[in-house]
Amino acid sequence: MKRMMQKGWRPLLVLILLIMAWEFSYHFFNIPDWLLPAPSSIVQEALIGWNEYAHHLLSTVQLTLIGFLIGSSVGIIVAIGLHLIPLLREAFYPLLIVSQNIPIIVSAPLLVIWFGFGMLPKVIVITLVCFFPITIATLDGFQQTSRELKHYMLMVGATKQQIFWKLEWPHALPSLFSGIKISATYSVMAAVISEWLGANEGIGVYMTLASSSFRTDRVFVSILLVVVLSLLFFTCIVYIEKRVIRWKQVEEGRVDE
Amino acid sequence: MSKLVIKNVYQSYGDHAVLEDVSFVVNQGEFVSLLGPSGSGKSTLFRLIGGLSEPNDGAIYLNGEKINGTRGLISYMPQSPSLFPWRTILKNVLLNQELTGVTNVEKAHQMIERAGLKGYEHAYPHELSGGMKQRVSFIRSLLSPQSFICLDEPFSALDEFTRVEMQKWLLSIWAEYQKSILFVTHNIEEAMFLSDRIIVLSSRPATVKKEFIVPFQRPRTEDLLLMEPFLRLKKDIYYTLTKDE
Repeated sequence: MKRMMQKGWRPLLVLILLIMAWEFSYHFFNIPDWLLPAPSSIVQEALIGWNEYAHHLLSTVQLTLIGFLIGSSVGIIVAIGLHLIPLLREAFYPLLIVSQNIPIIVSAPLLVIWFGFGMLPKVIVITLVCFFPITIATLDGFQQTSRELKHYMLMVGATKQQIFWKLEWPHALPSLFSGIKISATYSVMAAVISEWLGANEGIGVYMTLASSSFRTDRVFVSILLVVVLSLLFFTCIVYIEKRVIRWKQVEEGRVDE
Repeated sequence: MSKLVIKNVYQSYGDHAVLEDVSFVVNQGEFVSLLGPSGSGKSTLFRLIGGLSEPNDGAIYLNGEKINGTRGLISYMPQSPSLFPWRTILKNVLLNQELTGVTNVEKAHQMIERAGLKGYEHAYPHELSGGMKQRVSFIRSLLSPQSFICLDEPFSALDEFTRVEMQKWLLSIWAEYQKSILFVTHNIEEAMFLSDRIIVLSSRPATVKKEFIVPFQRPRTEDLLLMEPFLRLKKDIYYTLTKDE
């Protein structure tokens, strides 16, 4: 933590300088508000506008959480299934990768055609975005299980189930968490995209309304909200990871010394 | 009761014969060493005893029952400690009991203390030195419900001083438990210091070259390593190992 504080000032300084340059050029070049508002007015809007966007924020948080929970569960289940049944892995692994090559922006309207404007297509969009990093990372974790430990488990007569729960699963946990961290950051973005498809509330809606009425300051407020939400979410996952995988943390600490 | 009989075992991979007519016996409570050059098929033999693969010909009996290709009947200690990094020492030691059902935490605590690792029960393996890890690994195999233990060059990665300490410690623990042990090594002195009998294997294809009875009284101490009869036997074994038919 202390080291992070020591190193953290550099990017922070750059950020502050950038914002200062922005503020300065806004005044110096007389940029109109609808084109690029000053950082100070964005912050001001973020503060006074709270009542206007609070319910949008809440709705997006809710959608993100539901989508993320379902998406990561699907990711984990798919990974376990593909790992335990090699035949499935051979058949579906290439398809998994293809599924990620279809742009969400294309598949999302299709989902609306099929499932309407309700919660379901939105959750499907987030799930599609979330499950992939988790499945790939977890599968990798399973595959990289130490051969030495596996040989040991076989020698002492462990069943396939015991090998999975006592060896492969704990071994894949760190990989699983790196997948979850990527998904957590993506999920906020996916929620906003899914709200563009048609929703009553949400940061996506707030953003669309703001940009169509040239309230550029509000567009920046929503960008700010997305960034903050993603970071918050990421931090939560890192915290949970540290609680769950204690042994790894200590190990890394030792390497650092 | 635990008696292992290896009877006329053959094993080959393709045209490459690895084991050829290997036969020997490990009696109840006996400490037997398999001595042979590296690559003499010792690990293949362990895979067969562990039931990971079946011999092309021949049979392996444990307590009179044929166990070709049956897993889970022996307890095993590999060359590397093979501890699970996410388990504490206590949990690592209990692993084999978990696999078969009943865990005895109290006994595990006793054994950990007996191994001089008191206070490390809740430490993780990476916090321990090489010798300590091997001790944990050995306790784990001792706490297994199976009464026949296979040790696969367990001390080969340790430095000379730690190794002698570990050998003495192993003997003292073994004396209390009287489990049957099959010990694989390529170190003549180690085999002599520890075992009741030594079986010398030839290199590929491996076959039993000769069997030596180690007559020295137990408990054995380090002094033995420099005594006249010990050195004479060592010379004998050495010539058997290096001599080609």
